[in-house]
Amino acid sequence: MAKEEIQKKSKTEAPRIGVFVCECGSNIQSMMDVEDLTRYAKTLPNVVYAEHMNYPCSRQGQEKIKDAIKNRGLNRVVVAGCSPRVYDAVFRRCVSQAGLNPWLFEMANIRELSFYCHQNKPEEAAEKAKDIVKMAVAKARLFEPLQPIELPVTDKAMIVGGGIAGISASLDLADMGFKVYLVEKTETIGGHMALLDKTFPTLDCSICIEGPKMVDVGRHSNIEIISYADVLNVDGYVGNFTVKVRKNPRYIIAENCTGCGECRDACPIEYPNPADMNLGVRKAISVPFDQAVPLIYTINKDYCIECYKCVDACGDRQAINFDQKPEEVEVNVGAIIVAVGYDMHNPADMECYGYGKYENVFTSLEFERLILAAGPTGGKVIRASDRQKPHSVAFIQCVGSRDINRYEYCSGFCCMYTLKHAVMLKEKYKDDVQVYVFYNDMRSNFKGYEEFFNRAKSSGVNFIRAKLENRRITEDPKTKNLMVYAETEDGKPVEAEAEMVVLANAAVPIQKATELAEITKIPIGTDGFFVECQPKIRPNETDTPGIFLAGACQGLKDIPYCVAHGSGAAARAATILNKSKWLVEPLVANVNEDLCSGCGVCESVCGYDALRIEQNDTKKVANVTEGLCRGCGMCAAACPVGAITMPHYTSEQVVAQAKAVLEKVR
Amino acid sequence: MPLKTLKQDTAETLTLEWVLHVRNYKLTLNKNLCVGCEICALACPKEAIGLEKQPKALGVKAKHAKIDIDLEKCNFCGICDILCPYGAIKVTVTGEHILSVVEKESFPELIRDIQVDTSKCPVDCVECEEACPLDLIKITQLTADGKFVENIDSLTEKEKTGLQIKIDIEKERCPCCRICEFNCPKGVLRVRKFIHGKISIRPEKCPEGCTDCLDVCPILGALYLSDEDEQVHVNEMFCVYCGACKVVCPVDEALELKRTMVSHTPVHSGAWNKALERLTSPVEMTKELKTKGSLKARESVRKRLGWKGK
Repeated sequence: MAKEEIQKKSKTEAPRIGVFVCECGSNIQSMMDVEDLTRYAKTLPNVVYAEHMNYPCSRQGQEKIKDAIKNRGLNRVVVAGCSPRVYDAVFRRCVSQAGLNPWLFEMANIRELSFYCHQNKPEEAAEKAKDIVKMAVAKARLFEPLQPIELPVTDKAMIVGGGIAGISASLDLADMGFKVYLVEKTETIGGHMALLDKTFPTLDCSICIEGPKMVDVGRHSNIEIISYADVLNVDGYVGNFTVKVRKNPRYIIAENCTGCGECRDACPIEYPNPADMNLGVRKAISVPFDQAVPLIYTINKDYCIECYKCVDACGDRQAINFDQKPEEVEVNVGAIIVAVGYDMHNPADMECYGYGKYENVFTSLEFERLILAAGPTGGKVIRASDRQKPHSVAFIQCVGSRDINRYEYCSGFCCMYTLKHAVMLKEKYKDDVQVYVFYNDMRSNFKGYEEFFNRAKSSGVNFIRAKLENRRITEDPKTKNLMVYAETEDGKPVEAEAEMVVLANAAVPIQKATELAEITKIPIGTDGFFVECQPKIRPNETDTPGIFLAGACQGLKDIPYCVAHGSGAAARAATILNKSKWLVEPLVANVNEDLCSGCGVCESVCGYDALRIEQNDTKKVANVTEGLCRGCGMCAAACPVGAITMPHYTSEQVVAQAKAVLEKVR
Repeated sequence: MPLKTLKQDTAETLTLEWVLHVRNYKLTLNKNLCVGCEICALACPKEAIGLEKQPKALGVKAKHAKIDIDLEKCNFCGICDILCPYGAIKVTVTGEHILSVVEKESFPELIRDIQVDTSKCPVDCVECEEACPLDLIKITQLTADGKFVENIDSLTEKEKTGLQIKIDIEKERCPCCRICEFNCPKGVLRVRKFIHGKISIRPEKCPEGCTDCLDVCPILGALYLSDEDEQVHVNEMFCVYCGACKVVCPVDEALELKRTMVSHTPVHSGAWNKALERLTSPVEMTKELKTKGSLKARESVRKRLGWKGK
């Protein structure tokens, strides 16, 4: 039969259902007699054909299904196999290639819903599998062809967060020709990477490799950086988002600021610089670091005394405006990439480490600023107590991470940056410094990392394996040296005296994660990071179509991983942006306006703002915004007059399924 | 080591500190020197300084207000240090008394104009030393060869004639009340006030028997209890317009204090204008700006036309 003919017939003629039972290697085959299930399927009403095969999802399997549609005149297809979440799309495409409407297909999930969860009761599981197939067939009998919904697409993107992941995503999208708005909370893009001294495992200077990327972002004609700004609200749906952004006042007119720094030189006021982890200071009018992009100065009014010396220094450039107000802008975009990164846990609440109590205990990021040549000490690693170079430094791993009472996850990059710090110290001060690393497990997977571990070992770093429990640091009140006490796996005590201690404190979700999750409607996992759509094969997507994740906000990542993840998110976003119309599945609420009384119950139960009661020509009726509707069916269930139907899950279909499974009971 | 912000309040001092790895900002208020005037609280650009009136017990002298500094708001700019008439506040950066606002010319210094010509001093005169209400003056006699004289009475009259007199004044702490000048019999000292203004008391408004202003006034003689009406009166001559009295005065209209001018080194700064406005009034601040403007105009005319002026 020709494709067109199948298409035509499927709409008019009586259901002719084909059932294909998957053996799934040994997954299903070993649990039940698939032959028996196939025989059973053949007995069901309207089933004209049934067969079992290994892997219907394979190319050969799909060809067999297509052949059966053509040769046996099938107009409905049921595959009894695994989860529809992954394979629905595969089989819909398969049946549509054979000429059937893709919505005349149903997946009967006998693997997860029966065999996986009843492994110890194979007989009952087999019975349940029959019921699942029976339900699928009962539903398929009532299927109607559906057409996808077309949505317009704005071919611009917004990237929230200007760390290395956001930079990577921005550059990729901009290079593809899309307009990109890069929203950054702080004064400059660059994120954590801009604050690091070197990067592992190559010991490249961090800002030297990120700086050019930052400059590229700043100069790219397709990228508009909206820095020192907060995302306030996200409205709309895939292809059509409206994002409200507040630009916070820098008290500097960006267009007039040349970044010369004369104002900074004139300014008399200093305050602790958060970019230096508060180890050093910056002026009340300044940039957080010299490589800042955009290079626009900012006045911190919390500290400024308004002497206006900066105004004098700025002179004819007239870049300073003390009356600047916050400014709200609305940006229309087709896709949003959230790349807001991570924060560092403050280990002061873990008393055993003495952070904040003993002067010579530092966090890893503080150490990074100490050893950085452009840092507050000019690259001199010195103790806080006597400003002397330490002759022994102990690094302590897993401070807060991998601790089931705090952060159960592994922060991922601490092992490697600790190796980096240890190697840098050894190479800088040679035998003049003893380096101890108290580690739990050394995690040095990925390219070049194990080799770097070996480099650390051969450079004379002392590695001491110590479990998390019973760690303790004490201070000698006279010398301000620190004693590190710990235990090995089998409980043997280990200890070392060090003049400085550096803690590999846990990386944690950003402080405002919950707030941002509410705005973007991205769910947050139990670990506090944003949850992707599918952890393995859709790591960039969220449950909200058109909103993507990049970098450490989805789960902690090191730099190369963040760059790749950012590029991945850009590619995913481009699949939307490059289309003039975006097709969505037709699984959206359908309102029968004749029946609808405009009571508003549906509006109150909708969790996606997709339903609104609006006045039409004659009366008030529920109106569906198709781009927002997620097809959950809450409204259809709630509607007191049955005016709302969910295509592919109509009341008739659901009732038919229920009847099918309850038949036996009755 | 994380940033440490510390505040310590003892009987003697109030200390605020930012301890950074590379720097240490410290503000120390010497409570023994503080008179509870309102100068620092008015001038602070971050409004970090508050005055706490002390409760008054019956039959006991009123106590001056205590100042408290908000660690959250203080930015260690040192403006309080510069303006304190009594030198009670010190701001240091890593132990050094360097005030960046002065170095960067974003705030002026007070001009304590005290001129001393010891050549006219009688050898055994200690009038000024004794008169100073704050004990800031120390007189020493040196022999012709520069040796300290321990006991003046042990010298012969001949030896006395060759003596040199040295007057040391703790200038940083001097509010320039001029009491020494008026007590000097020979006109050795010449003092100019650095805060000018007007103070008046309306005795009819004063609560009966109230001497709170007099109780807290650090300048002995600027306020006095009149024998005639047993009420407090002002001796404008010695008042330094610090406002300690005004802070404690229980009745709004009884004591009026207006500052009109503050002598300071030349400066062009918004921070100073604001401080001056709060210390004096918008009118007085504008006056200073106008004066500066006309001086500037005169200067540019002089430059262009070679006009010398008078």
